[in-house]
Amino acid sequence: MRFHQDRAYLIALRLTGNPHDAQDAVQEAFLNAWRGLPRFRDEADFGTWLTRIVINSCHHQRRRQRPTETFDDTTPVSATPATDLIVEGQQRHRAAQQAISELSLDQRSAFVLHIFAGHTHAEVGRILGISESAAKVRTHRARRAIAATMHEWEES
Amino acid sequence: MTEDNLPCGVPFDEILDQVTDHRPPRDPRHQATCPTCRATLAELGDVWSLIDELAAQPVQAPTHLLHAVMDRIRELSAQPWYAVLTTPQGDTKIAARVVGALARLAAEDVPEVSLALGGGHHSKDQSLAEVAGPSGEAATDVGVSGTHVVVDIDVIADLGAHLPHLADQVRARIHQDIASYTGLTVAEVNVNIVDVHTTERID
Repeated sequence: MRFHQDRAYLIALRLTGNPHDAQDAVQEAFLNAWRGLPRFRDEADFGTWLTRIVINSCHHQRRRQRPTETFDDTTPVSATPATDLIVEGQQRHRAAQQAISELSLDQRSAFVLHIFAGHTHAEVGRILGISESAAKVRTHRARRAIAATMHEWEES
Repeated sequence: MTEDNLPCGVPFDEILDQVTDHRPPRDPRHQATCPTCRATLAELGDVWSLIDELAAQPVQAPTHLLHAVMDRIRELSAQPWYAVLTTPQGDTKIAARVVGALARLAAEDVPEVSLALGGGHHSKDQSLAEVAGPSGEAATDVGVSGTHVVVDIDVIADLGAHLPHLADQVRARIHQDIASYTGLTVAEVNVNIVDVHTTERID
């Protein structure tokens, strides 16, 4: 259970970009999974099925709330010279997460599942209900978009 | 930064895939001697290191999350015969038999449905209070959990009706009525057409 919980939270955090939304989405997903458990059939692996529910919950979460919001999933640190590196690291993480948040939902789901959850393109396709090649294309387009956004951020 | 090909002719995507997938170069000899490729590689490597750092960051669900889910499941399990609408002002509980009665009445409003069946069927001229009141039995099987309901309903159709189309109409009507009268979410409506009726409507 701990494995599924951490995996679900990781995916939700990277999809929503916000720990509060991620917690709400995971909670909703687990409740929906519990409700749907009697209808769960073995054609899908449990993890695949649960991940699909988490992604749907994140999409619902996003529709219910504001389209974008500044996120911060890091612990604040006091501003002293000794913490410069930590602050810089947090800024880099925020910039990376922001670049992910700017992707379309389709691209973001494929990207997060592949890069952060470590799924193969075939697994991403199964989870999202698309072909392996479509999953590959979505991930690739996401990478191009993120590389361009991060490049602009580094230049600014 | 995202032109299709670099000035040396190597596709930009080839370098991007090399960096993001941590793959070896497709043409190591060219890359070793091409300043354009090496510059692009360095630039992309720097940019992508932010994503790599984020991916390497350990993420654990907060410990209270599972407890919150389990508490909610326990709460829902303890009230299997009620749907619960939670608001900041308080909870509204709707008995499953109310949902069943609404589903049955909705089904009977569909033309060519003679009767929606159940152990405690009541005719349409009875008030909703009587149908759904303490003496009324659920005419249909209704599963409720939180704000979600699943309805299994038996109906008798008029002879000659197109049954799949009729079932779709019943489904749509039940969805619409339960959502508008109760605010609950209908997760599923299963329609069983158990008989056909040849002449007058049954009361």
